Amino acid sequence: MTIEAKEKEKDSIYKPFIATIKGIKELSSTEKQFDIQIDDKETREAFNFKPGQFVELTVFGLGEAPFSIPSSPNNKDYFELCIRNVGNVSGALHKMKEGDKVGIRGPFGKGHFPYEEMKDNNVVIVAGGLGMAPVRSLIKYVLENRDDYKRVIIIYGSINPDYLLYKDELEEWQKRDDVEVRLTVDEPCEGWQGEVGVCTNLIPGIDCPVDESYVVVCGPPVMYKFVIKELEKKCFKPEKVFLSLERRMECGVGKCNHCHIGDKMTCVDGPVFSLWEIRNLKEAI
Amino acid sequence: MQYKILKKNKYQDFVKGLIEDYNFIGPTKKDKSVHDFVPLNSIEELDTNYLKTTIPPAKKILFPPNEKLIEYEIGDEIKVKPVIESSETVLFGINAWDINGMNFLDKFFSKDFVDENYWDKRDKLTVIGMDTEPTENNFALSMDTEYATDGFDLYLHDLGDRYFVRVNTPKGNELVEKYVDFDDASENDFKDFDKYMDDYRAQFSNKVNIKSFYDNFEMIYNDEEFWKKIAKNCFSCGSCNLVCPTCFCFNVKDDLKLDLKTGEKTREWDSCMIPEYGLVAGGHNFRPNKENRLKQRYRCKLKTYFDKFGQYACVGCGRCIEACLAKINIAEDINSVKKEVNV
Repeated sequence: MTIEAKEKEKDSIYKPFIATIKGIKELSSTEKQFDIQIDDKETREAFNFKPGQFVELTVFGLGEAPFSIPSSPNNKDYFELCIRNVGNVSGALHKMKEGDKVGIRGPFGKGHFPYEEMKDNNVVIVAGGLGMAPVRSLIKYVLENRDDYKRVIIIYGSINPDYLLYKDELEEWQKRDDVEVRLTVDEPCEGWQGEVGVCTNLIPGIDCPVDESYVVVCGPPVMYKFVIKELEKKCFKPEKVFLSLERRMECGVGKCNHCHIGDKMTCVDGPVFSLWEIRNLKEAI
Repeated sequence: MQYKILKKNKYQDFVKGLIEDYNFIGPTKKDKSVHDFVPLNSIEELDTNYLKTTIPPAKKILFPPNEKLIEYEIGDEIKVKPVIESSETVLFGINAWDINGMNFLDKFFSKDFVDENYWDKRDKLTVIGMDTEPTENNFALSMDTEYATDGFDLYLHDLGDRYFVRVNTPKGNELVEKYVDFDDASENDFKDFDKYMDDYRAQFSNKVNIKSFYDNFEMIYNDEEFWKKIAKNCFSCGSCNLVCPTCFCFNVKDDLKLDLKTGEKTREWDSCMIPEYGLVAGGHNFRPNKENRLKQRYRCKLKTYFDKFGQYACVGCGRCIEACLAKINIAEDINSVKKEVNV
């Protein structure tokens, strides 16, 4: 082993690499999109993530927080993050501007959306609120490889139309005849064309054969219990239903233990779990 | 494993040599009932005949309560440097269950991602074990941790007039050859050692029924009444975590210094028993009540890592029983699970 190689091995799993905010876009009154480019070219090229994985982002002087990656894995130059202004790190991020530097570790999570296995199947996406962020990466990937998949159904619910994320893309997807988009809000505004109510209400209407369908779910903690109940009524196969879970994380590398669910850690074993796994994880939902 | 004999009259010279040459950490008397592992400069300070230490020695050295992970400098660019500090150290007089606790941490800090902050110190640690008398709360015998088969370089068992020495590594063998003459263990020495271990094991009076816990725990997992009773008095203070030789939870802090240009990330021990443990940004708490937190602690200690490593994350040292202000007793609770199932 060369000295260089040995030094590299001693690199700390807690050391972030430096990245630059290349673009900022407002997605709603509480969410912003950040385009993040890793400064070092070699590191950037080696940064290959899978839909459903996440990064740990550092705002120096404030701390680190986990964020899932909503952009397509095919975009190699930079990746996007969708961040709600809700905590210390996200609050500080919302005050940052283009050109500012952040720290990035990752991508993390062995449990990602099984986009390879999903091929030749129908793909049903059920997202609530900010839950659109992790699943958007999968939607992007599936649409970029559209011929590999059968029907694509997107069910997306939010409090009101303003809180819907990626509105321009939703519109674009609605126009396509190879994507079925069903939007629902709790509080409609005037002229609202979609459904009214929680996204759970739209699950009974899913009309694709369960043997050839994968379902992907992401939303606020309260949503899962009800969505799962409806999916079970439709007899979707638990090994083909995938849920992305949120937990407190301090490290992202399976050491700090805060994200434990039963015998699994959300950061290394998840954050995406199959419904079959979740049934065996007490307190997951 | 090699087996040697160290005569009592050579013991002092052996230890003096180690103290002279190494950063030497051993047990010393703090007050009437408690010892602590600290760096020692003379053999007079060393007292291996201890009953209790509050903070587990190996955890304290390898995974300190506060540890700098990263230093950074903010300028036109941001420079980030990992901080991995260690020095050759001899840990002398650690007992078998604490060695087994360290063996657990060894596995844990290698799983999925290798934690160099832990391993750099671990690689430079020479471990010399010695048996100590178990307290009345110690249930190491039930947890199979009263004897160490790995994780040490030398292990000295006190047979009265001589030490029966197990040499586990080349590093241990170097020490055997360095200071004083050790003899090869004879058949008689082995026989005396076997008798010694029988007598030693007989000193462990606290027994738990751990074998049946694995499945029984799942059966009563949803029995709210049972867990409310168990966790009724818990203050959610986290004392049990701090004294545990295998607890590894931590928080990471990021602090800018007053110059506003340099800063550091440090990790500090956290506790899975405190209410904020499962709190995320936005205010949702994934484990808001103390019954659930205690249940998860027992799962982590007694199930999760038995699946992953074939080793419990509890060595039965009894420290948490002694530290708990609410008198929550993990040994009694393990046995209560069995009783509850058999009702």
